[in-house]
Amino acid sequence: MFGLKKKTEDVHKGDLLITDGMYLKQATMNNGHIVLNCFLRALIVFFLVLGSIGGFLSAFDINYNFLMVIIVFLLLSMYFSFLYAATRLIYRDIGYIIFFVFFVGAIYVLRVYANSGFYSIVNNILNKAKAFFDLPGVREYEVQIDNDYLTVSIVTCFVGLVMIIVLNIWMYSIMSMFWTMLFTFPILFIPIYMKLSPDPMYIVFLMIGYMAVMIFKANGHYVVFAWDSPLKTRGLIKKRVSYTQDSTIFRQTLLSLGVISLCVVFVSSMMISPQAFERKFNSDRLRDLTSEAIGNFILLGVSSMFNEYPSTGGMSGGRLGGVSNVRPDYMTDLEVSFVPHSNDAIYLKGFTGGIYGDNQWESIYDPEQGEKLDTNVIDDDASLQAEAEKLKNDTGKYHGSGRMIVKNIGADTGYTYYPYYTLSPNFDGLFNYSGIDYGEEREFNFYPKIVWENELGNKCPKDMDVSGVSSIFLDVPEKNEEVVSDISKKIGLNDNMTEYEIVDAVRDYFEENYPYTLKPGRTPDKEDFVNYFLTKNKKGFCAHFASSAVLIFRHMGIPARYVEGYAFSMESVFASDEIDGLDPSDYYQGYSALGDAPVMKVEVSDAQAHAWVEIYVDGFGWRNVEVTPGSNEITEENDFWSAFSDFFGAGVTDNNGNNAGNVIGNLNLSRYSGVVYLLMGIIAFVIILSYVRILIRRIRRYRNCNQKNRRDAAIAQYADVCDMIRICDKGFDGCRSHKEQLEYIKDRYDDGINVEDLKTDLERMSFHDDYLEDKRMEEIIQKMGELRKLIRKNVKLKTRMMLWKR
Amino acid sequence: MKRVRNILRYIIIIILDIFVMIVFHSYINFILLVGLILFPIYSIIGVRKAAEGLSLKVEAPVEAMCRGEEFDVRFTVHNDSWFPLVNVNLNLEFSNAFYGKTGGHVLNIPVRAGKETKVTYPIVMEYCGRFLVEVNEISLVDILGMQERRIPVHELAECLVFPNGAERNNEAGRIYLRGVSEAVESKEKGYDFSDISGIREYIPGDKLQNIHWKLSVKKDDLMVKERVSVSAMQLNVLVDLSNNEEMSAEGVLELADSITKGFVVQNLPFTVYYYSTNTGGLNNCYIGNEIERKQWLEMVLYDRCYMGEALTEDLFIRQNPGAGSYLYIGVVEGGNEDVIYGDRKAGALLKTQG
Repeated sequence: MFGLKKKTEDVHKGDLLITDGMYLKQATMNNGHIVLNCFLRALIVFFLVLGSIGGFLSAFDINYNFLMVIIVFLLLSMYFSFLYAATRLIYRDIGYIIFFVFFVGAIYVLRVYANSGFYSIVNNILNKAKAFFDLPGVREYEVQIDNDYLTVSIVTCFVGLVMIIVLNIWMYSIMSMFWTMLFTFPILFIPIYMKLSPDPMYIVFLMIGYMAVMIFKANGHYVVFAWDSPLKTRGLIKKRVSYTQDSTIFRQTLLSLGVISLCVVFVSSMMISPQAFERKFNSDRLRDLTSEAIGNFILLGVSSMFNEYPSTGGMSGGRLGGVSNVRPDYMTDLEVSFVPHSNDAIYLKGFTGGIYGDNQWESIYDPEQGEKLDTNVIDDDASLQAEAEKLKNDTGKYHGSGRMIVKNIGADTGYTYYPYYTLSPNFDGLFNYSGIDYGEEREFNFYPKIVWENELGNKCPKDMDVSGVSSIFLDVPEKNEEVVSDISKKIGLNDNMTEYEIVDAVRDYFEENYPYTLKPGRTPDKEDFVNYFLTKNKKGFCAHFASSAVLIFRHMGIPARYVEGYAFSMESVFASDEIDGLDPSDYYQGYSALGDAPVMKVEVSDAQAHAWVEIYVDGFGWRNVEVTPGSNEITEENDFWSAFSDFFGAGVTDNNGNNAGNVIGNLNLSRYSGVVYLLMGIIAFVIILSYVRILIRRIRRYRNCNQKNRRDAAIAQYADVCDMIRICDKGFDGCRSHKEQLEYIKDRYDDGINVEDLKTDLERMSFHDDYLEDKRMEEIIQKMGELRKLIRKNVKLKTRMMLWKR
Repeated sequence: MKRVRNILRYIIIIILDIFVMIVFHSYINFILLVGLILFPIYSIIGVRKAAEGLSLKVEAPVEAMCRGEEFDVRFTVHNDSWFPLVNVNLNLEFSNAFYGKTGGHVLNIPVRAGKETKVTYPIVMEYCGRFLVEVNEISLVDILGMQERRIPVHELAECLVFPNGAERNNEAGRIYLRGVSEAVESKEKGYDFSDISGIREYIPGDKLQNIHWKLSVKKDDLMVKERVSVSAMQLNVLVDLSNNEEMSAEGVLELADSITKGFVVQNLPFTVYYYSTNTGGLNNCYIGNEIERKQWLEMVLYDRCYMGEALTEDLFIRQNPGAGSYLYIGVVEGGNEDVIYGDRKAGALLKTQG
């Protein structure tokens, strides 16, 4: 009862010393139950997550089971928030583990639903993106379960769950507006970029959430636990008694936020509609500048950001080294109509590189000027007119002439793609710089060399007449000379070998020693592309092999040049559609290794873009040579969406087309994959949780001990030292005063400390800001630092570990 | 500093929002911007309105407490407005006026809209004295933590904390007998030469010889005769309230409390002298019963102890040259068998002038 005298004994223990001889025992205030407080905090998380994910889905007009989602979000938010109402830390950790077990089970059982829901959302986004970015075509992901309403709701719950866990931890630790926005808003950039707005209701949720975070960040009182007293003395300074939490103020603040947010959102949206808002802007510079890149990102995922080529997997225009990995989008680049006549692959030449330097092949043609870079090259026309003329006039058994129509669907428009050996009546039309526009068809008359006779190229380079060939095709840059010379020796090349022996030797050497990969890694900035490939990286894709082979051939005296274009095998041709109603004889006449064949329309994708070598064959001219080894890599659909989807374990199918689980399933662990998942997940989760907790404690401790107020910092450092000793030695708990503590420290850790002085300074500076000089404060801080080192040094390894974990 | 940080943080968020709104032509950021502009207005108006209807009450026990006893001080803040205040700071100043010891801290509480917030402070004083708690200012912070509004108030509560001297009746009685020779003589002769000053109800501790048996039978309740001893008028007790770093005054007060309590319990009246810092001179007070003793203690605690050399004895001798024997209670050097010792080097020693 108020004013009633109370008997008391040990008045000092745990009390706040107000002034000498005056103590405050535990102050009390009715601040509501912790559970109510946790519920209100759960509401903030709920608003943020629903506002973010719901806003995203509503912007794309994706329907989901609203009732189910809000119930799940609310329950999850409350569950994780109520873990903080647990009276012991261990209960909270157990709560997390129990939920994690449940989560793993749920994701295992519902993975197909989640996978389908995810793909359904991706398909929706891609369809919207297709319209917005005017993309030629987007990939449709196949969903295993057609019930989008259900599957989207399920994947929404899973994604929301992750956000709820993270946000909940932040709500109880840092309450950071920055991190909250970073975690909840970026998802909305996708619809915002596509000029889609979420429903106003979700904006209200977001606004309440953001403002609540901002208010509690600005005012404090968010780090609260069930074991906290209603009023707490802040730090050892004991000059401020603050309340820990108050459910009434929480409720009143949220209520007022809700009312204001509702008014703001609905009045604003009534006064200015999204369309009216958009009309306020005259230009759209951001989208003008970035729509191409974003479009690529939507098609290719993250990999599009790491490639410098304008069209990943397509033409690179002789630029080398800027690609860490090639991730084709498998979209059609060219449509080629022709009559197949040989089992050999069809090469469509697009780019010819002559001079190598600065990790780049320079085109023989200057695309800007429309002229040849080197006038000496005039006789060695990259368009192979001379060779085509010869073949046209060939009257031998294997003579043939064909007609090919190439339509540009998505290939680089800077090039003309034509087959070997094309003779065009309009010679200028073949020049690379003219290119083929999107949707444009170009017709080529070509004279293929169907059977190569052995005698061609059957000369040693030293005996070849290369006088008609420009010297640039024999030029090896100085910086490559040594490496190319060494590699030629390793291959075993010598001057007495014929041209074809050299080509075969190089091809075989590459086959045996240089594996093909689409993921060779980016060439370091200061490294030469060819040297790096030949001596260090020793793996690569077609551009690596072709570039290196060109320099090796040149070193051996064979004129050679680098070529890019498209190459497709007969398998692709056979897998393509026939074109009905066309007479094959209009497209091909002469010898055919395949007999009578129809006119085929082959869709050539960017995955079929290729680089190869042309060598000069004395007596014939330029001939294409393949030096790239075959690929042993499994063809993966390595785009972003597939990788994400595989996380759910439904991305891999077996030979029968059934779902075969995930990577673990392929290791014949599929039978136990659930258990393995569970164990790995629990272990990983516990480890991560432990580290996060240690990290958070360390950050707090560091901030306390290094705060600007040096007096507070000094006292915090002393408290830290005492905490350390308590861990090392339980007997320290028996010390009730500064003097006893310091004497204890002196006896065991540092006999050099002056107990009286330190005790006096520590006690007195608790009551006066300016009691001690700055110098003395710094001395105390320094002393505490030394003590910490001494304590660590004097304890056993096990105790040291405990100190590290605190 | 925190407010500046909050304002800067808010401005950065507004700038970011405007940036996204302009760059992305984002409608959602436009609506958020409207909210971001309106919320500070609401917040600042709110704190102003709340400040108008805020009241504070500070309560402390009316009755005196004893040293070491716990007593409650209650702070009640009432908010008439409908604006909740997440942070209200009460600048509390505590002091023990007798010793001149002060300390303060900030009490940070929420103030709910339209409700009362009550905080109870259980206080324990290790030293006796006059406990004072004073609130001269309340600072209110708006919900966005941007504006601080200070309201001057003057709320004060106080509580006297008496010394809690141990019972030393026998020692007090002995020293009294030695100090008052006439009383000793009369006791030996069996006379009671004291005058009856009044009749009152019996309180535990009263001597049986003072019970007025006839009246007790009439009233059916024990009644005692209050006596004024003529010789007691001559027993003077000097309490020296000079203090030092060892808090000697606390020991002196405690010993004085013990001894005077013993006198009162044994109905031995006396006059107590002490140096008053408030008047700058010697104060005296005749004490014949417990009420008078408490009044004297209140007088002492409303005064202040003083630092430096002891003044009481010199002043007493100067002002009362023929006063004869007196009991000095103050700091006394050890080793004297005639001294009744207390804590903190306090001692009571019978002295005679000259």
